[in-house]
Amino acid sequence: MWPTACSSDDDDALTFFFAANPEEADARQRVVDAFQRRHPDIKVRTLLSGADPLQHMSIYCAGGKCPDILMAWDLTYAGLADRGVLLDLNTMLAQDKAFAAQLKAESIPSLYQTFTFNGGQYALPEQWSGNFLFYNKKLFADAGVRPPPGRWEQPWSFNEFLDTAKALTKRGRSGRVSQWGYVDSWVASYAAGLFGMNNGVPWSTPRTNPTHLNFDNETFLEGVQFYADLAHKHRVAPTSSDTQSMSTMDLFISGRAAMALGGHWRYQTVDRANGLDFDITVLPTGPKGHVARSNIGTTGLAIAASSRRKQQAWEFVKFATGPVGQAVIAESKLFVPVLRSAITSAGFAEAHARIDNLHVLTGGPAHSEGMPITPEWTKIVALMDRNIGPVLRGVRPATSLANGLSHAVDEVLRKP
Amino acid sequence: MFVAPNLAAVAVFMLFPLGFSLYMSLQNWDLFRPAKFVGLANYRGLFTGDPLFAIALRNTVVYTVGTVVPTILISLAVAGVLNREVRGIAIFRTIIFLPLAVSSVVMAVVWQFVFNTNNGLLNIMLSWIGIGPIPWLVDPKWAMLSLCTVSVWRSVPFATVILLAAMQGVPENLYEAAKLDGAGELRQFVSITVPLIRGAVSFVMVISTIHAFQAFDLVYVLTGRNGGPETATYVFGIMLFQHAFGFLEFGYASALAWVIFAILLVLTVLQLRLGRRRAAQEERSWA
Repeated sequence: MWPTACSSDDDDALTFFFAANPEEADARQRVVDAFQRRHPDIKVRTLLSGADPLQHMSIYCAGGKCPDILMAWDLTYAGLADRGVLLDLNTMLAQDKAFAAQLKAESIPSLYQTFTFNGGQYALPEQWSGNFLFYNKKLFADAGVRPPPGRWEQPWSFNEFLDTAKALTKRGRSGRVSQWGYVDSWVASYAAGLFGMNNGVPWSTPRTNPTHLNFDNETFLEGVQFYADLAHKHRVAPTSSDTQSMSTMDLFISGRAAMALGGHWRYQTVDRANGLDFDITVLPTGPKGHVARSNIGTTGLAIAASSRRKQQAWEFVKFATGPVGQAVIAESKLFVPVLRSAITSAGFAEAHARIDNLHVLTGGPAHSEGMPITPEWTKIVALMDRNIGPVLRGVRPATSLANGLSHAVDEVLRKP
Repeated sequence: MFVAPNLAAVAVFMLFPLGFSLYMSLQNWDLFRPAKFVGLANYRGLFTGDPLFAIALRNTVVYTVGTVVPTILISLAVAGVLNREVRGIAIFRTIIFLPLAVSSVVMAVVWQFVFNTNNGLLNIMLSWIGIGPIPWLVDPKWAMLSLCTVSVWRSVPFATVILLAAMQGVPENLYEAAKLDGAGELRQFVSITVPLIRGAVSFVMVISTIHAFQAFDLVYVLTGRNGGPETATYVFGIMLFQHAFGFLEFGYASALAWVIFAILLVLTVLQLRLGRRRAAQEERSWA
């Protein structure tokens, strides 16, 4: 596995660009190896991304060395698709009717449609990467707290979640926290939006190419405020100062946090932790929400429009997103697969035998709601970072976003 | 004929990029789609439509002043101290010059540990004298101060080298004459050394200003790619990089680059004019 560096003269190999933490990278290699066993005539060279995959992809492709196969993220692929960097896979599907029919039968529509943009299909989904909560069973048992629900159909409320977090936050004699009730291992501003979404208001309508995000919606902002209060009002979650020295995932793995928000990309890390007795549960539902929802997080595989090995690349994409590759993925614990056969397979269940609440994963895709898909997402993120920052620090109320952030975001989305 | 290789290098590495970026500033280009000519729209957008331009300008000015002024004052003091013939002065000189050899990125990463709110060296030392933990890099009010601190720490060695060299060019007999007149060390420093190294100070000021105005790597690593907590450290360098490589707006970023150049040009010309006028005044007063 080569990190992104000068490429060797392997001109007949397919280049496959993706981002992965070290545990995920191992599992990815298994999928690549499985493909190479079935297609010994096609060589695949992996390119591991650095910290900012979108920037890497943009620069590679602008420089003319676009990797043949690219990992595509739900939130950031639209900018590349809009600029013609990604191949419209409908052209390949049109020539491969058998595979297209199979895909249609087994795919989960909301995940598949994530990568449909302006009428074209720019990637095929390979995983569901929505967020849920990891929790430490031992800490729950020690504190005598009732374990959280195991299915998306059995939501728990914001208040129940808060009481649980309070019961699981422990302070030493000096007042310093020795155990946090809740930590966030995702992007704070995104997680804040998830709580807003679980209060019954979607991020935007429509999901793809919206002209307005619901940052001015009172009910959405109530959810955001609840999230911000966790660290500052109720003090069950660490502030950004607290997480400077130890990452939130490290806190959870070392048993110093009872619940951690994250997606399946954290599963391998948690699974390999020594002596950690963990399970997973659903996100809490706000007072104005009626159901528990995760986000339709998904990543997929795309082919570069400028690739000179489109047919070979297509073979790999078909493998990884089709039944064979998805079964390998299911068994390897790499991802939550996207094909129905793979999610419900025995291999997937066995790979996750440590947890009881498997339904949080298998039912995840069906209980997810989308985050906005727009080519301007990088600008939106910069705006969110700047404006939600003070809210998360407890300096400004979430209602202030209705004036500042909302207008700025709408201005960006409405530009032609 | 002998000039040709040099000329070629200047043309390729300086003139062409300069010309191309000026040309780009009049277009909208995102690297993938063909460039679209928009005339002066980018410049107009910068000055009228972009609230972040004003914020970046303010932050850059604050950062520049907050770096250059302490740098010059501290380097004057340090160079003055190093200018003596005390035993072991060579060791002190080496220590002072060490930051010159360290890359900005490494420096920023190490200072991140020092500035850590709960476990950083600085807050631990402050707690010994009873001051509570300061959120150096997390709070917008402190982030710029932290950035300036690292920046000054990085710039002092370079300025010290220049000023020390200039100080060693001051003739000894001036100091002897002053001692005969009863002037103390400090008085000698202020009235003899500093005025006579005015040229070097001016040079250091110009170079430091230009360098601080264009600061990027230190800011990017220390406080992140978005300009620190809520635009606290959102300087021109960060704005340019974000627009170019984050938002893929190369036309806008090029326009910004030329605006920065224009501002720096005006500043530098002003500084040099002031320096020349002061020197002319001095010569007249001696005559």
